[in-house]
Amino acid sequence: MLLEIVDVTKTYRGGVRANDGVTLEVGAGEVYGLLGHNGAGKTTLANQVVGLLRPDTGSIHIDGVDAVARPDEARRRCSIQPQAQVPIAGLTPRQAIGLVGRLRGATAPDVHRRSRALSAALELDEWLDVDGVRLSGGVKRLVSFCMAAVAPGRVVILDEPTNDVDPVRRRLLWAQVRRLADDGAAVLLVTHNVIEAERAVDRLAILDHGRVVVEGTPSSLKAGLAEDLRLELVLEPGADAPAMAPFVRRVTRNGHRVLATVPAGEASDAAAWAQQLRRAGTVEEFSLAPATLEDVYIGAVGRADALQPESRTIAREELAGVHAA
Amino acid sequence: MSMLRSYRLLVGWQARRLKGVLPLAIVVQTLLALGIVIGYPLLFPGLDRSTTLFLATGAPAITLISMGLVLVPQMVAQSRTEGTLDYMRSLPVPRLVYLLADLSVWLAVVLPGVIFAVAVGDVRFGLELQVSPLVVPAMLLVALTATAIGYAIASLLPAMLANLLTQVLVVFVLMFSPLNFPPDRLPSWLAAIHRVLPIQAMGEVIRGTLAGGTFPLTTGPFLLLAAWCVASFVVTHRVMNRRA
Repeated sequence: MLLEIVDVTKTYRGGVRANDGVTLEVGAGEVYGLLGHNGAGKTTLANQVVGLLRPDTGSIHIDGVDAVARPDEARRRCSIQPQAQVPIAGLTPRQAIGLVGRLRGATAPDVHRRSRALSAALELDEWLDVDGVRLSGGVKRLVSFCMAAVAPGRVVILDEPTNDVDPVRRRLLWAQVRRLADDGAAVLLVTHNVIEAERAVDRLAILDHGRVVVEGTPSSLKAGLAEDLRLELVLEPGADAPAMAPFVRRVTRNGHRVLATVPAGEASDAAAWAQQLRRAGTVEEFSLAPATLEDVYIGAVGRADALQPESRTIAREELAGVHAA
Repeated sequence: MSMLRSYRLLVGWQARRLKGVLPLAIVVQTLLALGIVIGYPLLFPGLDRSTTLFLATGAPAITLISMGLVLVPQMVAQSRTEGTLDYMRSLPVPRLVYLLADLSVWLAVVLPGVIFAVAVGDVRFGLELQVSPLVVPAMLLVALTATAIGYAIASLLPAMLANLLTQVLVVFVLMFSPLNFPPDRLPSWLAAIHRVLPIQAMGEVIRGTLAGGTFPLTTGPFLLLAAWCVASFVVTHRVMNRRA
């Protein structure tokens, strides 16, 4: 395994336990998702891998090198796209990507070739020579991905790489993430966007209060919910949540959106019930579909409040095809 | 990956990052240095040669010290606040290379002013300076030590506090340190403190290499400064490699 994290515990001054006995492994060619709500300890874990933080106990090995004892070696073998925007004011994306590539030890021709390929793949060409201060948040985010990918380490950590990125370039970005793994890197993808992660990762762990609460492949995790369907109701603005029918279980609410599970055998009753709510004007729209990773996530973490508003939009677009109306 | 290559790339990075402010910074630093050499004699006309010589040879020390203790920590504090520092720390580059790259960029900013101010003072007041080649290592030693101390301040303290402390240091260096005047004008307790602190030694090595006829150069200040330089590098190295 290229990245081996064993029983890592990290407590901040002030007593906040950000990581609590975290163990996970990522192999070459694998995209591993680290999911969890804000403050679950995902970024803390990433910062320990690159040697910016030191674990209290436990071990981290990158390509066989002890990253806790040799943070300098860890940084050579690991490249990171941090969660915060990388300030590149004064530099153009071309310069910033080039400088990082060369600082990571790549030759000038290699850096040149690779940044051109990345820029073309992510449709960044028109921004390549624009000063960093004039770039939008999404473009900056993509540039900082390129900075991590131009001369990638054996391990590549991407901390919320799609934040602020438009839907079209998100797809392009996911293709490049997969490409990094195909080229032999172990990719640790930190995100709270469950719906995107479902399509992008090979395996994943869900972190809650610093602990790994669930681990596996997306399909193995969803297998436990094979007999369930997810019911999503979007409430009319101002409407109160309706009384739930007896077969509706595990109800969570996030703003106007109500998520619940329904036994597959009750599908037609559930659809009829939801349709009735729609006619009554309580519900704006609804969908009934196979359970997703999001349902696994809610089951594991116990609440939907960590989910981002954008994940909701995507879910609705995605599920439009299975509208039961 | 050689240190030299990392150094070159980081100098390029910092110079580009600061390219908007560099020309103005050079002008401001030149005016500051000139102000000490030319401005004081305007304030107090009829100064004798030894006083103007003190001012002309004190200005380079003051400029280099304020670069290390004020400019550099303020820039480091800013990089910390905006996140550049943490990003750079995640790259495979030895920590001290950042310090040396920063130092080089800022030396390029202050050196023109230093040289210009000394030359103007020499011509304006007919000082007939006797510049020794040792002025180069002397100035480098002063700049290195001041920058290492400045880096330690900026890495140890929260940004606001670091900025505040650098303001206090400016006043201390400019008004209460024997750079523009001889140490015997200080109260004895402050003079005793200055025999241990590096500031007076910084002034003496530069003075001795610019006007050796009037201010004989001794090894004492060089040794004291070298000790401070090594100590501050050790501390800075530890601080920069620290992991919370």
